[in-house]
Amino acid sequence: MEVYVDIDRCIYCHACEVACERVHGEARISVGAVEERASVPLFCHQCDVAPCALACPAGALVQGEAAVSFEAEKCTRCGLCAISCPFGAVYIGETAPLQKCDLCSEREAPACVLTCPTEALIWGDGEDGAKRLRRRAAARMAQSCAEAIGRGRI
Amino acid sequence: MAEEKLVPTVCPYCALGCGFYIKLKEDGPEIEYMLDHPTNEGSLCAKGNASLEVINHPDRLRHPLKKTEGGWSRITWDEALSIVAGKIEETIKRHGPDALGFLGSAKSTNEENYLFQKMARTLGSKNVDCCARRCHSPTIPALKRAFGSACMTNPIPDLANSDCIFVIGSNFAENHPIVARWAMRTKDRGGRIVVADPRLTPTTWLADLHLQIRLGTDVALLNGMMKVIIDEGLWDRKFVAERTTGFEELAEKVSGYTLEKVSEIIDAPPEAIVKAARVYAKSPSSAIVYSMGITQHSHGTNNVSACADLALLCGQLGRSGAGLYPLRGQNNVQGACDMGVLADFYPGSVSVHDPGAIRFIEEAWGTSALPIGMGMTAEAMPVAAAAGDLRFLYIMGEDLVNSDSSSSRGRRELENLDFMVVQDIFMTDTAEMADLVLPAAAWAEKEGTFTSSERRVQWIPRAFDPPGEARSDLSTILKLASLLGLDFDYAGPEDVLTEIGRVVSSYAGISKERAEERGGVIWPCPHPEHPGTPILHQEGFSAPEGRGRIVPMEYLPPAEETSLDYPLLLTTGRVALHHNAGSMTRRSFSLMKRSPELFVEVNPQDADRWSVIDGDLVEVETRRGEAWARARVTPRQEEGVIFMPFHFPETNLLTSDVIDPEARIPEFKVAACRIGKMKGV
Repeated sequence: MEVYVDIDRCIYCHACEVACERVHGEARISVGAVEERASVPLFCHQCDVAPCALACPAGALVQGEAAVSFEAEKCTRCGLCAISCPFGAVYIGETAPLQKCDLCSEREAPACVLTCPTEALIWGDGEDGAKRLRRRAAARMAQSCAEAIGRGRI
Repeated sequence: MAEEKLVPTVCPYCALGCGFYIKLKEDGPEIEYMLDHPTNEGSLCAKGNASLEVINHPDRLRHPLKKTEGGWSRITWDEALSIVAGKIEETIKRHGPDALGFLGSAKSTNEENYLFQKMARTLGSKNVDCCARRCHSPTIPALKRAFGSACMTNPIPDLANSDCIFVIGSNFAENHPIVARWAMRTKDRGGRIVVADPRLTPTTWLADLHLQIRLGTDVALLNGMMKVIIDEGLWDRKFVAERTTGFEELAEKVSGYTLEKVSEIIDAPPEAIVKAARVYAKSPSSAIVYSMGITQHSHGTNNVSACADLALLCGQLGRSGAGLYPLRGQNNVQGACDMGVLADFYPGSVSVHDPGAIRFIEEAWGTSALPIGMGMTAEAMPVAAAAGDLRFLYIMGEDLVNSDSSSSRGRRELENLDFMVVQDIFMTDTAEMADLVLPAAAWAEKEGTFTSSERRVQWIPRAFDPPGEARSDLSTILKLASLLGLDFDYAGPEDVLTEIGRVVSSYAGISKERAEERGGVIWPCPHPEHPGTPILHQEGFSAPEGRGRIVPMEYLPPAEETSLDYPLLLTTGRVALHHNAGSMTRRSFSLMKRSPELFVEVNPQDADRWSVIDGDLVEVETRRGEAWARARVTPRQEEGVIFMPFHFPETNLLTSDVIDPEARIPEFKVAACRIGKMKGV
């Protein structure tokens, strides 16, 4: 299972950040915005070939099939993972050696997904998540098409 | 394993009534999402997620405090309440009951508010009001006149069934984020969102069409749209003929609102007005969503009336997906209004000018001397204090001085009171001014019902003990009433709810058991077997003859215009991370971290003109006062308009005190101002 993002739905409300902080002590997700146009929640992509796991000299970050897991007791706080992550989604935190989304492994579904007011965050396996995004995109495109072929309401 | 307990509750912040669980466990309470709640389906905004941060906050008031020359001194509850009772009796004896003022709380339960106004009115005082005066007071007279009842017509989730959502004067994506959930589902179904707002906001991001109108020109836009709808024959002839009055007058009035004229007034292209009109009128079911961008004007009542006119003209009412949505601000502001904590209404929207209807309440209360006539509103109370007409003020859970417009004036005026008692969970700036402060229980530390914006009445059980000696407002009122010799004989909130059912007909069928069920009951619920009424006005309106009344409105400009001295306009509003006057959210660590200080949004052109650089501390000045704020240079604002959120006390030092003549709401949304870099910074 993974977390998908529907950028069209993000409203820059910060609910995911506060929920993540509430659950983990620090927010492992952060929402950035071009203030007048759009916003994007950023968090660990659980890369298939994760630069953070490749960079980690202590073997604290472990490349798994569905996620990149983290073994806290091995972490030396060297910070190479934070430097290597292209999204800034891994960092050395204040309350724990390393902060990185673990998909709320101890919960049924991640807190950010459950709390998201607009369902911009989707919890599903690869096909599932893509299917939901596709369905929404198709509805939006159908709407524009309706307009173009004279069946619009405006 | 340690024992865990899930206690259902309702969010204490805005008025959407979102449900969640408080999980009580050994290492502290935690929030658990309530996936089967009908309004929010588990989701919560940032404030909801942070709501438990106020529960055990170190700043909580824990003991009754009396102001002495050496500062606050702790006293016992018995001492405190006998002082309050003594002051009430003394004030009545020396100046009469109308020298007493009572401000109820849109954060307290229905039962507490009901008893609060009952106490005030039984003592003979007409002066009962609450903060609804500052958010949706125009909604009340305007919608009562138009439909016969003043509230949201359909539930929030029903927005998903709309084909068009017309948003005017609401930034729900930030202020009521859960509304965006349902608006998005509308879009998923191919529905349209049209937003009229002077600012670019996350709500306008969702819009298929955004009309960036000039501040305070809503009536002109609405009249212009109605003219297009009438000219193009898009109005609902059957609905208008069978269910409304006033169409001819409307047609005549709006005939003067030509596209050219309206386009010039609102500063938006004529094509956009035509598009908005067509999509609203032609969609099978359309909803109008509005909030304080409509109400907080010197002509706020006219603005609401014009929204109602548009809905009546197009027959976009009384069906699923078709409705009018005033989005309210506080978790129990609807309930406080239903309970009669308003200067113009007794419980159940009984007019204070209607002796016949008041007699019914007198019978229910076993008294024969209830006051008749308009009392002092929240805005009038400080003025009356300055004039010496108001001597004693009892404020239950409200930060009056920070939420009042032109607040330094209000602060000076309140100093003239003989005695002020404030009951709150924190030492607010208002409480600092009091002679006596009573510590109150927060929402989850007591039980009772809250009524959300969608008229959903939900009972919440008590999850925590109040800190220190803090008490629920209910128990404080009951103790005080008994000291005053009032016959308030209630075992607890359930008893009070039963009495509410006898006095307020729309609550007649609502019991504790029913309100405790998931999602509670949506009023009107006139008898115990009644399922509740999610959609109003399906058959007829509760206005005279069952007809909706179209009352045409004339466009009036805002009270303040720019001048050489004050060349810019200041508008105010809310942000996603704070709530109203901020006494709770400014004490919430995870919210303050993300939104730590007052800011002012300035358009890049204006920033150039007035030498403002992003991140500067700048001084904003109006005719009432000046305040500093951190500049954010952003095209979110139109040229000539600056924006400040009102969650920080400084903003309302600046706002206008011109009020709407009917609803008496100040024009928080428009004030002429100037801006400059602060000297020496």
